[in-house]
Amino acid sequence: MKRRYIIIINIVIVGLIFCIIVKYSNDRALESNQSSVASFEKMTTTTDQIIANYLEDEQHLCDIWSNYINGSAEAGNPMTVEEAISYIRKAKISPEISGHLIYIDDGSMLGISTSASTTDSSDYSVDYSHISIFENIEISNVSGAVNLTRAYTNPLNGVQSIAFLNNVKVLDVETAAIREALLIRVVPVSRLEQKLVFLKGEYENVEISIIDWDGDYMIHGKSLKNSNFFEYFKSYNPMSTQELNDVIDAIHNDVGSMHISNSKREDSIIAYTPLSGLDSWYLIAYIPANELTANRSIDWLLLLIVSIGLMVLLHFNLIILRGFNRKLAIAAEAANQANEAKSHFLSTMSHDIRTPMNAIIGMNEMILRDSHDKDILMYAESIRAAGNTLLGIINDILDFSKIEAGKMELIEVDYNFVSLLNDLVNMVQRKAEEKGLAFELQVDRNIPTMMHGDEIRIKQVITNILSNAVKYTKKGKIVFSISYSKCEDEQDYIILHVSVKDTGIGIKKEDLDKLFVAFERIDELKNRKIEGTGLGMAIAQSFLKMMDSTVQVESVYGEGSEFFFDLKQKVVKWDPVGEFETAYRRFVSEREEYKVSFVAPGARVLVVDDSEVNLKVFASLLNRTRMQIETADSGDACIELFKRNFYDVIFLDHMMPDKDGIETLREMKACIDTPNLKTPVICLTANAISGMREMYMEAGFDDYLTKPIDTGKLENMLLQYLPPNLIEDDSVTHSILVVNDDVTILRQIKEWLSPIYNVTVVKTEAQAAQYLKNHETDLILIGSDMHLENDFENNQIMRNNIDLTDKDEVITQVKKYFDK
Amino acid sequence: MRRKIIAVALATIMILAMVACKKSETVEQGYSPKYSSDTEYKISVVGTYSNFESLESSIERFYAYYPQGEIEYTYLDDYRNSIGHALAGQEAPDIYVVQPWMYGNPQYQDLFDNAEVLSDPELGINLDCIRSGLRWEMEDGNIVTLPVFATSYGMLVNMDIFEKENLEVPKNFGELLETCQKLKAAGYESPMMGANISTTPGIGYAFAYPMFASVVKDGGDIEEGLNNMSPSAGEAMREPLTRLQELVDSGCIDIDKCTAEIEDDYNGVIMRFFQGDVPMMLCSGDVVSGTKKREGTSEDFSARPFKYDFYVAPSGDEGGYYMDSISILFSVNKNSANLDMTNEFMRFLTSEGELGLIAQEKRLITPTKDYSLDEVYGSLADFPEERTISFNDISLLDTAVKQFRAAAYGVTNGQMTVEEAVASYGKLPTD
Repeated sequence: MKRRYIIIINIVIVGLIFCIIVKYSNDRALESNQSSVASFEKMTTTTDQIIANYLEDEQHLCDIWSNYINGSAEAGNPMTVEEAISYIRKAKISPEISGHLIYIDDGSMLGISTSASTTDSSDYSVDYSHISIFENIEISNVSGAVNLTRAYTNPLNGVQSIAFLNNVKVLDVETAAIREALLIRVVPVSRLEQKLVFLKGEYENVEISIIDWDGDYMIHGKSLKNSNFFEYFKSYNPMSTQELNDVIDAIHNDVGSMHISNSKREDSIIAYTPLSGLDSWYLIAYIPANELTANRSIDWLLLLIVSIGLMVLLHFNLIILRGFNRKLAIAAEAANQANEAKSHFLSTMSHDIRTPMNAIIGMNEMILRDSHDKDILMYAESIRAAGNTLLGIINDILDFSKIEAGKMELIEVDYNFVSLLNDLVNMVQRKAEEKGLAFELQVDRNIPTMMHGDEIRIKQVITNILSNAVKYTKKGKIVFSISYSKCEDEQDYIILHVSVKDTGIGIKKEDLDKLFVAFERIDELKNRKIEGTGLGMAIAQSFLKMMDSTVQVESVYGEGSEFFFDLKQKVVKWDPVGEFETAYRRFVSEREEYKVSFVAPGARVLVVDDSEVNLKVFASLLNRTRMQIETADSGDACIELFKRNFYDVIFLDHMMPDKDGIETLREMKACIDTPNLKTPVICLTANAISGMREMYMEAGFDDYLTKPIDTGKLENMLLQYLPPNLIEDDSVTHSILVVNDDVTILRQIKEWLSPIYNVTVVKTEAQAAQYLKNHETDLILIGSDMHLENDFENNQIMRNNIDLTDKDEVITQVKKYFDK
Repeated sequence: MRRKIIAVALATIMILAMVACKKSETVEQGYSPKYSSDTEYKISVVGTYSNFESLESSIERFYAYYPQGEIEYTYLDDYRNSIGHALAGQEAPDIYVVQPWMYGNPQYQDLFDNAEVLSDPELGINLDCIRSGLRWEMEDGNIVTLPVFATSYGMLVNMDIFEKENLEVPKNFGELLETCQKLKAAGYESPMMGANISTTPGIGYAFAYPMFASVVKDGGDIEEGLNNMSPSAGEAMREPLTRLQELVDSGCIDIDKCTAEIEDDYNGVIMRFFQGDVPMMLCSGDVVSGTKKREGTSEDFSARPFKYDFYVAPSGDEGGYYMDSISILFSVNKNSANLDMTNEFMRFLTSEGELGLIAQEKRLITPTKDYSLDEVYGSLADFPEERTISFNDISLLDTAVKQFRAAAYGVTNGQMTVEEAVASYGKLPTD
């Protein structure tokens, strides 16, 4: 992992911890705040009780006054206004409090006071006609409950006061009539405010306000601006009319609290409650929000400490990690070097083995093609088998390196199941027979003939399992069975059930796990004479995994094993294979013998290789294509020819002394003075390890072909790169006319040559002449004593100076003729 | 290295920002506290406004310098009668509102007698920022009152209507008649409206009083006659009343419509104007002060807001007359228990900036020389001197003013002719 990712992850973790702490702190703070607000609300309700009690007390004192005055009236001895005021003056204890008595029956709102005017000590008259405090009170009937007004200005001393009211009946001295009057107990607001001083001990900045239904203040907190609380609220807390009405309703009807913005746009809290025992009066307790949320600062401090701690830890970890990273980088460098060494070894081994193998297999191929001596062919066949085995081992190693590098890919093609089976049987049957083992083949006759999949890899998997079975079985038999079942979900697919059962040495239970581990060989000591790399089953398992399958094993140590797996394959042709033997014969008869896929006499090919024998192999393998093949044994020689002659395709070896293929290619690409500017250059190399194709393509080669050369691949590649106009179709079967008077010979020759050529036999020259009038023929085999009447080119006639009774000689001579 | 550069850059920005903030603060305020910021105090201010948020805002600004105190504004019920008692009472206010009409009335003599001399150089109050016409010197040359708001009489003009009709706001009476004809032709039934009441914001007073004041200013001894209720002095009313009669007769204003549609001289005027179909609404500056708050409460204005400004009424042939009156003044109770801090607050208040801010928030005319803070009153800046009548230019007593108000109302409503009004000066009923 890159360092920056580690740092990022650490920062993310620190950030997460930070967030968790913040959230935790916030939650705690929120809880604390909620608790503080709840306490604040509780304080508000307590204050409400105190105020309510105080107001009740004041009203009660007002009622005592009025009861006394009214009692006199009821007793038939009504008091005059002066007498009533005189009584009140005596009854009231506090000099701050005064009593006003005003007439209401004539609407004059005039009367007298217990206290004189501050401006005239002889003036006790009082006038309430310009003071609008009675709008919401039915002043003619205020008995019963606490009756107080909004805060107003005492008209005699200018002090903000509240009034407690009651009705009284007094005697008008002038008219001797009983008049309706209003008794007002006038209490300075400051007196009520003093009752609330105790709150300052608990909340330093609390401000108590009392508002009426409309929001007008009786007591006005310092921070609450405006003369009306609701106006104030609206001014600094913008909201819709509906929202404002909801707030007003809440204050009118509920006990609770809410956050508001004050005139400085600071967060504040108000707790509200209706005043107990009073209609339309409400207590509002205001406090700056930060006074109730002061505890949060402690959490921030804690957060800061934790954050610093985490940052220190992060830096410490980074320093330690940097140390580890340094060591890891050294180890990784060493591992890379080892890996590079391994790659180099694989490359070298692959190259160094494949190079001579190319000569061996290539030359052997030529022997197999050209020789008709049975013994020689048998020896050559043995060489091919051994060569293929050796190549198999190398391929295993290369496959493994590809799998390890993750570069192995499946190549799916349509394949003939019979052919696949035949190759497998051919391979294993002979080996089994050599060891004296019985080989039993059980093939479901209904398996479809043509399927779609990676035939090569499937063959490789089964070959591995079968080879192991033969290798590790000393006596008894090997049963190779294949059956199938249809896929229920997908109509075009079948599941092949493949099983290989042997009576071999078996595998211990504890060794089963090692079976698919690369380079692990079970019972190494016991099996050391058995050849193998220990890669086969690991590779097989890897291939099966790529094909969504897996090989399974059931084994009894000492008795034998069964390897089996299921493989999903797409069906191309549902024709059943039938009896394998019959199908095999049919396949063989239908299979064409090797035949050159094209001829291109006009094509010019240059092949470059430092190995003379490999140059010879290359030229020999392409002999029948009749191309003009030139060779060069070094990079310099190649460049010289490259500049001088035109070629349609160039095959260039990589690993050459002095100047290797890539250097040579680089020079070729840089060369402008050449007729080969557009000539494709194909890398012909024994280096076949994974990643090489990409490397060569990147180096500038047009394509890549490995050694030992596979003739089919080589010819296909040429077909791809040669200009189409140079390709001549060589697939037409040559026609041969055989003229001989010996019917037995004619019959024999026809039998020998018919599989390869169109053979027509005639007994006489006349019949031959007649035939030639209407048909063209490529070759006439005629006895030395016979003559044709018509003119034919001599080179079309092969005199019968060969032994027509010798099959091999006949076939060889005819072949030589056409090869020329 | 990069981190260091960023850190240095950030530090530089912070320092610059701090310097910039401090600098702007200094430039804006121009006030430096005289006392320690931890001085404790309690000041009470009493006044006639039930709601005085602009003063409360100013108090908040003062708290920035003196946070350890409290200034409380209290509305006094029946101020005319209660202020005297309050001043003599146990909880006497430290600052109280005074109005020009109180001067000369024995009932209010204590308000002036008990007032601190604000022009005392020791207090350091900069009264020079007040317009000279509004600086109220007592007979002994002392200044005991600080004008907080000025006011005037004129009209609110719906600028959107004038723009829509492609008209200019009329500058003289001739243009007014012409403009009204065009507006009537455009469908405005009564191009001018106003409260048909005899109070100062009423139609007659708002339109004709500035012209009357101009006559008095230029009339020499006539002011004395008017104050003495001399019937012959009534002649001074002839010109303004005649012009008022001409206005009514011209059809520029439909008096009946005004009576029917405008309930009172304050809220009713504003709410009717906010309906948006009145090109010119006669009123006083005090009425204009209520407009800002009512913009939000008027459904019509909220739905169809428009631009409006205040102009003097174009009553003269050469142009209108700008009556530069005082609305309210503050006096300091010289017996205040917190006299030093009260004077300090007054010193804080007495600056173009602070008085301008209070006036702007209240939407009244600033008593200072700088009209720029409130564009509604922009038309008053640089008004021609010859047609400006300042507070100090005339000394009409309240009784004389009431006579004119009664005459103007009578003429407006056809209750008397101009001739009758002039002849009845001194005897016109005013209650």
